[in-house]
Amino acid sequence: MLGARIEFFGVGSDPDPTATRIGRLTEDRLSSKKTRELFTIDRLRGFRRYMTREKLQVPLPFEQIMQRHEREIMRYLLRASGNREDAADLFQDTWLHAYRAYPRLQPKSDIRPWLYAIAINLCRNRARDGARRARVIVPDNMEFSTGNTAGRHYRSRDENDGYAAVHLREMIADLPTKQREAVQLRYLAGLDYAEIASAIGCSEESARANVSQAMKKLKAMW
Amino acid sequence: MKIETSLGSIGNEFAEETIEELLNRSRSRVDKALKRMRRPQAAVGLVKSPLGELLVAMSARGIVLNHYMDDAGDLAAKIGKLRLEFDLVEDQRAVKEVGEEVRLYLAGDAKALRQKVDLTLVAHSFQRKVLDKLQAVPRGAVVSYRALGAAVGAASSARAVGNTMHDNPVPIYVPCHRVISSDGRIGGYAGGIARKIQLLRCEGFQLDNAKPRILDSVVWGHKGTKIYCRGNCRTAARVDPARVFFFADSRQAKRAGMRPCKICRPV
Repeated sequence: MLGARIEFFGVGSDPDPTATRIGRLTEDRLSSKKTRELFTIDRLRGFRRYMTREKLQVPLPFEQIMQRHEREIMRYLLRASGNREDAADLFQDTWLHAYRAYPRLQPKSDIRPWLYAIAINLCRNRARDGARRARVIVPDNMEFSTGNTAGRHYRSRDENDGYAAVHLREMIADLPTKQREAVQLRYLAGLDYAEIASAIGCSEESARANVSQAMKKLKAMW
Repeated sequence: MKIETSLGSIGNEFAEETIEELLNRSRSRVDKALKRMRRPQAAVGLVKSPLGELLVAMSARGIVLNHYMDDAGDLAAKIGKLRLEFDLVEDQRAVKEVGEEVRLYLAGDAKALRQKVDLTLVAHSFQRKVLDKLQAVPRGAVVSYRALGAAVGAASSARAVGNTMHDNPVPIYVPCHRVISSDGRIGGYAGGIARKIQLLRCEGFQLDNAKPRILDSVVWGHKGTKIYCRGNCRTAARVDPARVFFFADSRQAKRAGMRPCKICRPV
């Protein structure tokens, strides 16, 4: 089943010669948990060289970057916003911003935290604008269902959202911005602390501190 | 249930099929939006030539970048500049011709360099003017930095011309090796003096390796009068050095449409 999943994620059919190796590696290391599985695959794909050849210093074409990371970004946005329309919009914006900024990305830097940084900044903007806009435009019956993605006053009414998940979402939404983003990157995207640090733009220690503060608060309320 | 487990399961209500379906819907939207802001494409590749390995970039309009590979520090900066204007694709086949042309050119084929030149990477209008003018300097002739500056109306900008030559994105094709000091020394070259000497030699100049300078045996021609003279002609004292070309020999001068001086009678 796992083999099928790897195939499904395009790793198996990727022309990159490291792909099969990664496939095998993944199969060995994966734990039984579904989310863990997905993260590991994403992580390993992110580790692959992103320059075509070291000597030329020519970065990969943007399409390839997109192909490699679109699923992961979409999953993160969907989990962070809890809502399809927002996720789709944010997804498009993320890639447009990424395309515009791509030439300025140093060829040797890591591409994954960079993409997440764009995604969370857009989430933040949208939450801010959404809070402003929601007062005027949104009709009563769907008051908080759009626009307020990663925002503080999000109340989920989405499909199949279990009570625990809703509760937890609300608790996360009430955290201060930095802590909320750190926790989401850690547990929804599965980034490690170095990656979180470079995505948020802080030191590794403060990324760690933000996550642990947030966890402390969440545990107290749990 | 532990809170970490619950955190990990947030959003699990979205099955992978949902993600797949959303991706399928979003892809065409993203593609459409991206199409409007696309940068033009450029093919990048390495070619081997008698002057060493070259990194070459070709756009639809012609050759954009030609970089001597042994200069690795500069390479990152050049690629960085290139990325701002173009989407890069590695493609050896598109650039292979350039290596062949350079090889033929150094072997003595005067018309070997056929690619058009795309000066997109030259941002400054002064630099672009200088490089445009420079392309009019024929094979077998050289100008001084000062004279080139004067040709674009800035006679006191020899230094700026020098910098322009240093930053020239397309050496060999835009002949920045044909620019020398006013006193006859051959000046510098971004790819190293040895390459400049090699290029000038294949264009007919006789140069001494140890002390490379344009010899007195070459003739110089005046741009205004279209007359060429020996190096030691007595009229030399009167002419404006900013209006002077040097030619490898009389044949080159004649080919550029000049007549011999009646005082010094160059052969």
